[in-house]
Order: sequence, then structure tokens, then C-alpha cells
Amino acid sequence: MKKFVIISGLILFFAGMISSCKKNDLPVDEDGLLITTRTDCYVSNFELLGSDFQTVRSKAPVIDTAAGTITQEVFYGADLKNLWPQLTLAQDCKLEPKITGKTDFSDLANPRQYTVVSGNRQVRKTYKIIITVQPK
Amino acid sequence: MRINFRSYTPALLGMMLLAASCAKDDAYETPTTKNQLQNDCIKRSTGPNISGGVIEFAYAMALPASRGKLVSAQVEASIAGANGTYLENNSYYYSIEQQKDVPVKIGEPSVTTGNTTVTTFTKDTMAATLRYFYTIPAEAKGKSVTFTFSAKSDNGENVSYKMGPYEISTMDMKLDLNLTDGDSTYFSVADMKVYAKNQTVDASKIDLIYMYRTSATASLKHALVAPGAPKEYLQDFVVPGGAANVTKLVKAYNLRDQQLARLQYGVFITDQDFKAVDFNNQPSYLFNLKAEGGTWVETADGKYRAFIYINKVDDAKKSMVISVKRYQVK
Repeated sequence: MKKFVIISGLILFFAGMISSCKKNDLPVDEDGLLITTRTDCYVSNFELLGSDFQTVRSKAPVIDTAAGTITQEVFYGADLKNLWPQLTLAQDCKLEPKITGKTDFSDLANPRQYTVVSGNRQVRKTYKIIITVQPK
Repeated sequence: MRINFRSYTPALLGMMLLAASCAKDDAYETPTTKNQLQNDCIKRSTGPNISGGVIEFAYAMALPASRGKLVSAQVEASIAGANGTYLENNSYYYSIEQQKDVPVKIGEPSVTTGNTTVTTFTKDTMAATLRYFYTIPAEAKGKSVTFTFSAKSDNGENVSYKMGPYEISTMDMKLDLNLTDGDSTYFSVADMKVYAKNQTVDASKIDLIYMYRTSATASLKHALVAPGAPKEYLQDFVVPGGAANVTKLVKAYNLRDQQLARLQYGVFITDQDFKAVDFNNQPSYLFNLKAEGGTWVETADGKYRAFIYINKVDDAKKSMVISVKRYQVK
């Protein structure tokens, strides 16, 4: 009886080890990010920071997913050449182009555009970031 | 049942190791006092040593009561300290009840002659720790300074202790400059000075204009604007003729340099930090400045870089208190 318990214990142990070593074959993209089955593709929040890493937003952002626009009013005198945008995305999404630091938003006539790519990398949604300056 | 002793070998070895590591240390012996005058010194202040700032030391000296009493303590600096250099005439002890250092007077205030500062004991003292405050003079900039602390007892014994050398930064520092809207409103980085609006001032030296403005729709409040900034940012301010410097500014927040803010944060801006700031594409105007915030500054000619720390803002008085560190780039 004792022998039987030991042997079955060992079998279970090795089975566990083998299963834990099984290669994870879920797909990843060129950035090493997991490609999932999710199709959600939208921006849920937007933040703009100044060079002092404090917000320059004077109002909450207006995110229109249908129109693909984010309208944001910033404080009067905000330095539009050195802003750090932060976009909160739906789960598993990624952004193109990537935000790597301070970004120039001073060309108000030509708003910057960012594309959100869904978790399954099949759905793409482009957002135009429209900046307006607080009136004096 | 047979006992296999070999299987207990690792356990026995482990127990032996445990016993060895728990061996009692040698008994503690109270150190015996050296029968002579002794001294010791520590540097209390931290951060870069800047002209106009202070280096603080604590100098301790003692001798057995049977050998006499302390007569005097002195410090010799390799470069004479600026006004405000002194050696304390109080020794301190920490009071647990009061939760602070409590002074005990041991003599008259120190006397500084040239490079030497002396405190003469007037109380019968066998042990004291005196603090020394060296105000860094402008001529020490970019040089190094050393200190020789010494003590004398009434039986003729002398001891001394060398401290340093300490490098003195090429930076300049000015504390608590008051800017007031419509009055003391111009700031010159080259002069490290605030000028009043009605004062005769070389317009080319005006790097920044302080103003306080309110608006029903915008957050303007405390602002620093370069005289050469776009007109709309100068609001209604009439810039004096000849003042056209486009000073570059990089807004910062929570950069509470200890020497400027004199708060509890152990943050120091050093020469290296000034070199690292990128002033490309930076604005020449800042609005809505707040206390504990600040700005990096580069003068229009690129000669100086500075950091302006905002100690205090007062909306009612339309004023701001700033402290500045300046670094000469070229």
C-alpha cells in the first residue's frame, strides 16, 4: 500500500513538472506584447502633462469614439511644444505611434493623430487630438 | 529496528554548526579613558558648498576632570570666512523631554580675526561640543577650503583636528528675494537681484518680469515672463525700452532643493544638473506658478543658467518670495 502511494506521488510530481515546462505558444507581436482575442478598441481616458509633470488640462477631456476625436482644453500659457500625452486604452490594446516623451502639439491646425490597435490586432481606430487653449 | 547512524550525519553536522555560531562573544569591557585632552569633529551640513551658503561642523573636545579644564577652542580656515562665520559659545545636549537640542553656555561669543575664529571658555568645562558655521565667501568659488580645529586646556595641552579639503562650487545662491507686482518686479540673473519698477536699471539686464494677473476664464495668477516674450503673454505690462531678452524657462514642480527651500527634503541641485537641462524649444513665459514649484532659467545670451525656487506666493499681496541658484555656463 505504502509503495503504491509513493509511486503514484512520484508520477504526479513528474507530470506536474512536465506540464509546467510546456512551451507557451500564445502569439506575441513585434513588441513582445500578447496578441489576445479581444476586439475592444477605444481610448478610455486622456491626460496631458507639462514639463513639470503637472496636468495642463483645464477641463476633463471630451473623447468621441464614434468621431475619433479627443478634444482637450489646456490652461492659458501652457507650453504646447513640450506636452506629455497619456492615453488610457481598452484592455490588451496598443498605440501607434508610441509615445516616448514630450510631444509638440503647437500646430493647432494639424492635430496629432494616434491609432489604437485592439488586443487581437485586427481592429484599428484613429483618434485626432484637438487641443484648444483656455481663453483669457 | 536497526538504526543507520550514517543517515544522521548531516543533522549532526548542522547541530555542530549551529552550536559554533551561537558561541558566546568575549565579555564586554568598559573602555578606559585616555588620560589626555582629546578631540573629534564631524561635518554636519550636506550638499554642495556654495558661496553665500554655510558649512557647519560640530567640534568635540574633552579631558579628564583631574587634568584640568578647557580654556579655548579655535578654528583656522584656509580661506577667511565671510560675515556670519562663527564658532558657537554653547555646547548642546539632546533633551528627551523637550525633544530638541538644549544649549549650555560655556563662554562669550567667538571672535574672528582674519582666518581664525576663537571661543574662550568662561565656565569650568571638561567636555564640550561646539558648532562652527563657516559662511562661504565669494573668493572661495571654484577653490577648495580646509579647516584646522584646535582646543587648549589650562594644563597647557593642545590638540588639533584637520577637516577637508572641501570643494566650493562655482554656483551662486541668493535666498528669499521678494517680488511684488507693480513694484519690485524685474529680476536680473546676471546681477542676482530684484529691481523695482521705478528704479534706474540697465534694461539689457532684465531677464524676467514678475506679474500677478487674474482673469475670469484663465488661470494666470503669479507669472514670470521674459521681456522679449510674445506680446500677448506680457498682458498689459509695458516693457521698458531696450529690454528684449528672450529668457528660456523650463517649469519644474516638487524640486525642493534643500538649500533653497530649507525644508526636510534631501534634494540638492548641483553644477551637473544645470548642464543636463535641455532648453531647446522652451517657452519664455510661465503662468500660474505655485509655492514649492520653480523654474530652470537660461539667459538670452546663454551665459547663465539658474534655478528659481518659489518659497512663497501671496495672492492678496500679489507677491512671491524666490530663492535662486545660478551657474555660469560660459
